[in-house]
Amino acid sequence: MPEISAFAVLFAAVFTNNILLTNYLGMCSFLVVSREVKTSAGLGGAVIFVMTATSAINWIVYYKLLIPLQLEYLRFIVFIVVIAAFVQLVEMIIERVSETLYAALGIFLPLITVNCAILGISLFMVIREYSFLQSLGFGLGGGIGWALAILAMAGIRQRLASRSRIPRGLEGAGITLIIAGTMALAFMGFNGMVNLQ
Amino acid sequence: MKQTPEMERIQRQMRPGVISYDGFLGSDKRLLCEIMDADEAAVRRMGLSHSAIAARMRELREAGARGLGQTTSVPPHFEVTVDAVRGKLPCPFLHEGLYEKIYTIVKNNTSGESVTYTDMNIHMIEAHGFYEGEGAPFRQDPATLARVLEIED
Amino acid sequence: MLVSFIIAVAAVGAINTLLAILIMLADATIGNYGDCKLTINDAKELTVKGGKPLLSALKDEQIFIPSACGGRGSCGLCKLVIEDGGGDLLPTELPWLDADEQKSGVRLSCQVKVKRDMRLRIPEELFSVKQFSATVSAINDLTHDIKEVKIKLSEPAAIEFTAGQFIQLEVPPYELTDEPVYRAYSIASDPVKQDEIELEIRYVPNGICTTYVHKHLKEGDEVTFNGPYGDFHLQPTEAEIICIAGGSGMAPIKSILEEMARTGSKRKAVYFFGARSKRDLFLVERMQALEKELPQFKFIPALSEPQPEDNWDGETGLITEVVAKHVPDASGKEAYLCGSPLMIDACVKVLQEKGMSEDNIYYDKFA
Repeated sequence: MPEISAFAVLFAAVFTNNILLTNYLGMCSFLVVSREVKTSAGLGGAVIFVMTATSAINWIVYYKLLIPLQLEYLRFIVFIVVIAAFVQLVEMIIERVSETLYAALGIFLPLITVNCAILGISLFMVIREYSFLQSLGFGLGGGIGWALAILAMAGIRQRLASRSRIPRGLEGAGITLIIAGTMALAFMGFNGMVNLQ
Repeated sequence: MKQTPEMERIQRQMRPGVISYDGFLGSDKRLLCEIMDADEAAVRRMGLSHSAIAARMRELREAGARGLGQTTSVPPHFEVTVDAVRGKLPCPFLHEGLYEKIYTIVKNNTSGESVTYTDMNIHMIEAHGFYEGEGAPFRQDPATLARVLEIED
Repeated sequence: MLVSFIIAVAAVGAINTLLAILIMLADATIGNYGDCKLTINDAKELTVKGGKPLLSALKDEQIFIPSACGGRGSCGLCKLVIEDGGGDLLPTELPWLDADEQKSGVRLSCQVKVKRDMRLRIPEELFSVKQFSATVSAINDLTHDIKEVKIKLSEPAAIEFTAGQFIQLEVPPYELTDEPVYRAYSIASDPVKQDEIELEIRYVPNGICTTYVHKHLKEGDEVTFNGPYGDFHLQPTEAEIICIAGGSGMAPIKSILEEMARTGSKRKAVYFFGARSKRDLFLVERMQALEKELPQFKFIPALSEPQPEDNWDGETGLITEVVAKHVPDASGKEAYLCGSPLMIDACVKVLQEKGMSEDNIYYDKFA
């Protein structure tokens, strides 16, 4: 277990080890939904909730059930099932709270299930042998980091759409990936503060 | 033409479910400016202009409308049916103006080919040079229009 | 080996069961909008289970709101006024509602979900609308593109309607559609015949319902429809009647005339029917028979483009020209129009020029 406080893990997961910008996980919805700040914020919120909840539950399931039963090899399938159930839950909540957001997110809501960043968080937490609190921080931080990245991207893209001339070959995914790369470089500037291996 | 921010807004208006259920773009993944550039080039290659095409479409629609919903023969060898469905649509090009959902079916009895277009199509071709995206229900291919409606410059 | 296998299955099974229970609990709490009270026209109260679109919640309560697209938000017909409890306007509704409608609380009932108590306004006549299952008893060709479809009711066994009203026929999923769609057709038969109705359906190229009726429907097939709808009917006055129709616009006018013949109406009536050439004319014999049954009734078919082989000696020209020629003075008369919106607009203009007040012109625009 690494000697590092849960809060530091959270901070690191948001900035220095942003799951999206350092591991490039969760790209598909990041690229497609980042057109508008409003929907990005909605999806970001949903991802924060699902990541935090699933990292905590998956930690319990892994250490209290799979390890004692020597079923570590089942972790992929079990983690995915837990994530799927939570996404279902989030869907119900969003539909109840804001039908407009529900309509705007459309298919991307159920697609959080296969958002690799979420599975990635659960798997990293196991590989890096985090304690429960560290995992909770890691999940929350990972979610905030992902939401921050998509919000920043949406802001940049909204400006881009209204002000700049993009070379034709780079329109759409091309320029978005370049921006993502630049953002990753910028986030590396936080590197000296805390670091996770 | 380049995709201005305004074009970007217009393209958003054209998505399915914003103004009409199917939208104006069909399965076309190109940018609005690319769709319009390609059709513009096709029109020029034929030595025609948007206004000449729109004028011919309007001429046949007016002739067909005299049938009051029934198919009418229009010399030399066209059969034109003009009818309407309920409701009005705003033009996606962000300006005032509602267009009735009146559609025109022109059958060329010499070739047996026919085309179907709406009043909105005539307006969008005339005022904006837009023929809708590939795969849209009311996509008008300039070459087909020129052939079936026998448009000559 | 076997033990570890069983443990693995049991563990995964246990986790899945727990999560399933969690979801069921959530469904029963978060996803459960409880019973919602719908107050209709300040008079009628219904309790429905929340969570469903309003259109289907009302349908479950046997209140049928006309809808042509089956709840996809693509026809804009299922509008009704929600005074309270409808929530925010949804992006999918906006194309169908103009500024006035948005202000007065008009919503698309297929898009709004019932999540809390609601107060609604529903036109009274919709309460008599029912869903019917029936069997096709006959299909006849009236012209090259219009078919007459007779439908025998089975459950409920009788429909009460006013001559001139329409029903919505359900088209089950087939080649052209993945989900059931509904299309409106006027009833052509006399309302006294409550166990069997007649429809006249014109083929529209690629039309979902007309293709189904013309290419797939056979005698003996089961069909479902709901109705009756519409406020197009004969006014209870003694005024002289002018009917004008084209194509399958024949249907409601025929129903009205059949009823007049049966009740021995003494009202003076003239019926102008527009077609392109003789092959587009139909039911001429029936109309001529009605001329005998109704002493004050005259049927005037008009062809806009008679073919040489038609040997047509009747009226020629556009329906508007023929109407103008036969009706020198329309004041004090009533007009009943059914057909293309273009025909109706043109005829309304002619009738007004001939002195008819707009209040006395009744029409059923199809579309």
